[in-house]
Amino acid sequence: MNEELDSQLSAMFDDELPAAECELLARRLSRDEQLKARWGRYAVIGAAIRVERGVRLNAALASRVSAAISAEASLTAEPTSQPARRWRSRWVQSVASAAAVAGVATVAIFWMRAQAPQTALTAAIDPIVTQEAVAKVPTTLTPVVNNTDSSSYTVPKTPGRRLVVPSTELANYVVAHSEFSSPVARRNLLSAFMATESANESSTAGTSPGSSEQPIEDVQDDAKNPQ
Amino acid sequence: MSADVSDLSLVRRVQRGDKGAFDALVLKYQHKLVKLVMRYVRNPAEAEDIAQEAFIKAYRALPQFRGDSAFYTWLYRIAINTAKNAVVSRDRSPIEYNIDRHETDESYDMQGRMKDAETPEGLVLTDEIRTTVNSAIDALPEDLRTAIVLRELEGLSYEEIAAAMDCPVGTVRSRIFRAREAIDRRLREVFEGGLGRVEELG
Repeated sequence: MNEELDSQLSAMFDDELPAAECELLARRLSRDEQLKARWGRYAVIGAAIRVERGVRLNAALASRVSAAISAEASLTAEPTSQPARRWRSRWVQSVASAAAVAGVATVAIFWMRAQAPQTALTAAIDPIVTQEAVAKVPTTLTPVVNNTDSSSYTVPKTPGRRLVVPSTELANYVVAHSEFSSPVARRNLLSAFMATESANESSTAGTSPGSSEQPIEDVQDDAKNPQ
Repeated sequence: MSADVSDLSLVRRVQRGDKGAFDALVLKYQHKLVKLVMRYVRNPAEAEDIAQEAFIKAYRALPQFRGDSAFYTWLYRIAINTAKNAVVSRDRSPIEYNIDRHETDESYDMQGRMKDAETPEGLVLTDEIRTTVNSAIDALPEDLRTAIVLRELEGLSYEEIAAAMDCPVGTVRSRIFRAREAIDRRLREVFEGGLGRVEELG
């Protein structure tokens, strides 16, 4: 037997061999029965020096364990515990899924909030009513008009939406063909047209065409003192 | 030198499916484990059974071993739990064992408790091994004898032994290796001359 190899084996037994050499020797030790037997005798020598009772040179224990392990399935897990890695991966996947769901929910909430005022208005008078008309008909907006503590109300600026001012001809056309629509829809359309027409009249009297893009302030004052 | 590096290299091999590496771990620690389990059960045969069970449990649990602690520390805990469970399940009381006395007068106490439980074959084998090892140690040159005793009996590292013997670490490594070789030669001679036959009969 190679003396250098035996010297390495002795140092490895004492946990005094560099890691790189240990790797190589461990590989050889697991396959070389002679080397393994020598390794086992080193253990016996240590046990005898420490006066450990029950020391046997040919102990049945090691062979019994070896036989039992042979019947077991080989461990094929990665050294740093595959279960832990699997658990980590599952955890990351769960967090990523939760984050994605939360992100979508957040975007949806913000989108709905941004759309909410517009939706409310358009549900009432869309598609005919204009923003300008809304501004000039405060009673249809909010209860703030009745709030005597507040002297003014600021209508938030709605995102720029192309103003559609229906003409009288179009209104007449719609009314003429309203026989084919339901009574409720017809009533809604007519009231919307009436509101739009009155708004148009007042806007042409006092406001410039581009003023509807600006935030409309002091609606209450406007209502009291129309320009 | 990082602690437990040799055990860890064997453990990693087992974790990659090399069962032969686990044999090396069993060979290295079987005596320590049996001695440990003897604190809980009365006879060596039973202690070996429990140690065997502990080794098999350790093998099965090895994929979860990350190397945060030394392998033997981990194995030690498994063996203690296995021994305690065995005692409970067999409804036997653990041997009253004074840890302090164990530290100071271990060999006397262990001998006294085990004498009537061991088989004659086992005693012969054990005594013959011990006698052989002791005589081999006595025959060693003093520097080799001191090195192996400091290592095996006192558990000193190579660096500590080098400091104690005022020599390089490489010399310590060589002395311990040569001491082991000399003892091992004697041990093999005795074994091949009939010691194994006693084991077979037992």
